[in-house]
Amino acid sequence: MFYYYLRLSALSYRRNPILSSLMVFAIAIGVGAYMVIFTLNYVMGGNPIPQKSAELFHVQIDSGNPNTQDDPPPQLTYLDARALIEANSAFRETPTSKMSGILEPEGDDVRPFSIVGRGSSADFFPMFNVPFLYGTPWDGSADRNLQQVVVITKELNERLYGGNDSTGKTLRLHGYSFQITGVLDDWSPVPKFYDVNNNAFEGSEEVFIPWNLITSLEFPRNGNTSCWKAPEPGPDGFLNSECVWVQYWVELRDSDEEADYLQFLNNYAAQQKEFGRLPREMNNGLFDVEEWLLKQEVLPNETKILSALAAMLLAVCLLNTIGLLLSKFLGKSGEIGVRQALGAHKGSLFLQHVIEAGFIGLLGGLLGLVVAAAGLEGIKILLGEDLMRTDWIQLNPTVVAVTLLLAVFATIAAGFYPIWRACNINPAIHLKTQ
Amino acid sequence: MLDMKNIRKVFRTDLVETCALDDFSLTVDQGEFVTITGPSGCGKTTFLNIAGLLETHTSGQYLLDGVDVSELRDYARAKLRNQKIGFIFQSFNLMPDLNLFDNIDVPLRYRGMKSRERKERVDKALDSVGLFARRKHVPAQLSGGQQQRVAIARALVGDPLFLLADEPTGNLDSHTAMGVMALLEEINDSGTTIIMVTHDQSLAEQSKRNIHILDGRISTESTRRSEEAATVA
Amino acid sequence: MEIGPILRALARNKLGVMLIALQIAFTMTVMVNAVFIIIERSKAMARPSGLDEPNTFYLSSTGFGDQFNPEVTERDDLELLRNTPGIIDVAPTNAIPVSGSGSSDGLRLDDDPTLPAIPAAVYYSDEHAVNTMDLKLIAGENFSSNDVLYQRPSDRRGYTKAVVSLALAEVLFPEEGQSAVGRTFYNDSYPVQISGIVETLQTPWPTSSFTEQAMIVPLHFISATSTYLIRTEPGERDRLMVETEEVLATNNPNRIIRGLKSMDETREESYRLDSAMATILFTVIATLVFITSMGIVGLAVFGINRRRKQIGTRRALGATQVEILRHFMIENFFISGVGVSLGAVFTIGFSIMLSSLFESPTMDWYYTPVGMAILIVIGQVAVLGPSARAAQIQPAIATRSI
Repeated sequence: MFYYYLRLSALSYRRNPILSSLMVFAIAIGVGAYMVIFTLNYVMGGNPIPQKSAELFHVQIDSGNPNTQDDPPPQLTYLDARALIEANSAFRETPTSKMSGILEPEGDDVRPFSIVGRGSSADFFPMFNVPFLYGTPWDGSADRNLQQVVVITKELNERLYGGNDSTGKTLRLHGYSFQITGVLDDWSPVPKFYDVNNNAFEGSEEVFIPWNLITSLEFPRNGNTSCWKAPEPGPDGFLNSECVWVQYWVELRDSDEEADYLQFLNNYAAQQKEFGRLPREMNNGLFDVEEWLLKQEVLPNETKILSALAAMLLAVCLLNTIGLLLSKFLGKSGEIGVRQALGAHKGSLFLQHVIEAGFIGLLGGLLGLVVAAAGLEGIKILLGEDLMRTDWIQLNPTVVAVTLLLAVFATIAAGFYPIWRACNINPAIHLKTQ
Repeated sequence: MLDMKNIRKVFRTDLVETCALDDFSLTVDQGEFVTITGPSGCGKTTFLNIAGLLETHTSGQYLLDGVDVSELRDYARAKLRNQKIGFIFQSFNLMPDLNLFDNIDVPLRYRGMKSRERKERVDKALDSVGLFARRKHVPAQLSGGQQQRVAIARALVGDPLFLLADEPTGNLDSHTAMGVMALLEEINDSGTTIIMVTHDQSLAEQSKRNIHILDGRISTESTRRSEEAATVA
Repeated sequence: MEIGPILRALARNKLGVMLIALQIAFTMTVMVNAVFIIIERSKAMARPSGLDEPNTFYLSSTGFGDQFNPEVTERDDLELLRNTPGIIDVAPTNAIPVSGSGSSDGLRLDDDPTLPAIPAAVYYSDEHAVNTMDLKLIAGENFSSNDVLYQRPSDRRGYTKAVVSLALAEVLFPEEGQSAVGRTFYNDSYPVQISGIVETLQTPWPTSSFTEQAMIVPLHFISATSTYLIRTEPGERDRLMVETEEVLATNNPNRIIRGLKSMDETREESYRLDSAMATILFTVIATLVFITSMGIVGLAVFGINRRRKQIGTRRALGATQVEILRHFMIENFFISGVGVSLGAVFTIGFSIMLSSLFESPTMDWYYTPVGMAILIVIGQVAVLGPSARAAQIQPAIATRSI
């Protein structure tokens, strides 16, 4: 019977091509536009590392200004970061910060150029499941021993070494020699959850070095630095100051480890308070990836506003569809009456027309995919490729599935009242007996 | 086969018709050919709708093949219509975008019949009205008479208990009408009960049994065997 | 005029009315709020930074290796650039207005950390900054070259003077504004005196809450990276961009030149999200208006077809074509009326929700009534066609018995 009803749906479409096409068109626009915004929200607000996002935590230590009420700073001071990494209390942990430097390629044919890099501990790579194309991360001892080692990205490897295995080679960065221990495979999480202080949707850095080298080799910092109190003058003034510029992530495998680490943080903070630091009330915290993204309000307001507007656009398109379905089904009252006379009970008629509505919905959904793809391309063009990564702005399997399901079920829902009206009629009236 | 006792139908909706049936009783046996006549609209239509389970009666008893239909809900009524009643309408009521095969096939679909059995029956029905060759054509390509034959085939394809015909020749010219009536006679001769509503007096006079409805009741009933007309008060 | 019967007939067909009315209501909500957002963003994008943007560009020089001497390099660069024909002036700076990256401090009226801090962007530069940025000095005076300090980033900030934007002066000293020259404020614990006030100078962050509060201080950091802001004669910018980059890149092998960009490009990049948003919103509005109009036309045609006999009968009873036309226009007017009334409620509600959730400005009062009027006009225009066709229906239809 299902295929029978499907055939009847196709015949019905042919009988009223203009009306039916208008419906398909309206559904396609409403669903398509909504799915464009849905894709943006889905990726920008999504979890970039779902396999272990619940085990990765950003550390918060409130080292802020005691005279104001603003939020605790989203980064740590150098003092706190050093203390934490030296205590080594978590299963895995990493302080991390952006830096920049001049890279002098071997040979005289390529001019030196400036790159943006990141300092981190060796744990960074296993913590965030960073994939390697060649080689491995550096060993943990390199962090402690201030070894000049570096991990470079696939793109940089292409640029410098033609994409070949460059592990073991030497790179001249910021005037120092660094040995390449590994080359990353494609890796650019969206959002860039581990550092949302500048632009949560920018691409990844080009080189990774042990974090301690940022200060020991005096690399220029490149992220967000915020000080509620000016640093004392002098060479170590900045490092001993209350300026925050370090992101700190820990990996804790279960709730016990979480509780233990929080306790450790609180003990550390209490101890610092005795030294006169951390004047604010104790407010330490651990935020897992999703919590952190939410707290830092990474999802731009624009996408939220557009969601609401797109929902209203979809509502208008569905209201339109209800009207069109009413016209269509009311015009079929004669046929419905005959079918009832021939033995169709209301359930069959209802099912027949629900399938017809679903059929139209499916066609609308398929056309809606075209609309959504076009819309996403348009947005990619509007945003341009230079400011942020835009390669994720495209249809993915989840979005395709949601589009089709949304179209089918929304159309069926829109059709409920028209179908009920059409099927609940007294067959006698519409059979025009006598 | 069809047994109505003291049927009353009152319309409470704001339809234009306010006529009803009042104390209407009728028994039709298997194999009969009954015509129902009466002034335009009113009781005839109501009788047809009630007999065909298209409407419910307000009071009285209607037994169809021994089953009291007043207890039945929509699902059961639909099943009964599908299995026991074959409708033939004045304006044929064929589905314009289905071909002849698909049109006759419709009631069998609602019976959940398998496709091989359906094909057999539909082919046989088409053949019996002489339109097998045109089974892929759509109704618009047929004359009125041919369309009515298809409608008759559709009514018969499910081996119903009786045919309920609503002015079957009303939209046909006299020559074609005769052909259709002949077909109906043939069908009746082979054992199918037929109840036909008409306001064509000549047809009524030719029929074996005629019921005349006036103001919702049977005013005259005449059978051809007997020349007398018995008036029921 | 038959308003009563029309209204009563509409009341009997609540579903048909609501289908259209709700579409109109939602369309109005989206349209009015989106237009408001577009206008607000356009206003923000049009705000001047204070600079002569079409003729201004900048670049950075980063030195490396032991041979590199930052002070000498910068001194030589500035001299070379300032003497280049076509270049009006050059200022070394740490940050560029509107560019998205820079430095800000919290200022107070006294050396008391418990006082509220007033945020302001800081441009570390020299006495050429005001001229290079083409700022309009409306009170006081610019620094002299003697005021400019040279320090390392780890030194204590030693500047005692600042040229501030009028907006910053007004926030610091509300009663005085322009006449706040000579007044002192505190940056951390050291005092700074306002030596001059310029009319407009924006921070590097166009969307921040304090985007007009900026100051220039006569302090220069000695570091490996120097950024030069360059203003050219009209029409010379493009040529000079290419030439200066080449000259600087080749005359010193111990440094690289990067980040060459014009102010126009900077503005475009910084506001790209806003302009993308405006385009998207505009598309959404246009689509909605189109779909709703189609919906109105569609249901009007359906309703009129259903009532063909009625219309013929009216004509037979003496109605003129104009009266039939008017009948349907009035009917649509009332349906639209319900729609825009609902729409007004939704629009204002949505707008309040937006401004409270996202801390954005609230809509001016006149947006809603204008929106209502526009949608009623759209509805009337949409239904004009079908109504005109309805007026063409022949009276003879009344007697046909179908």
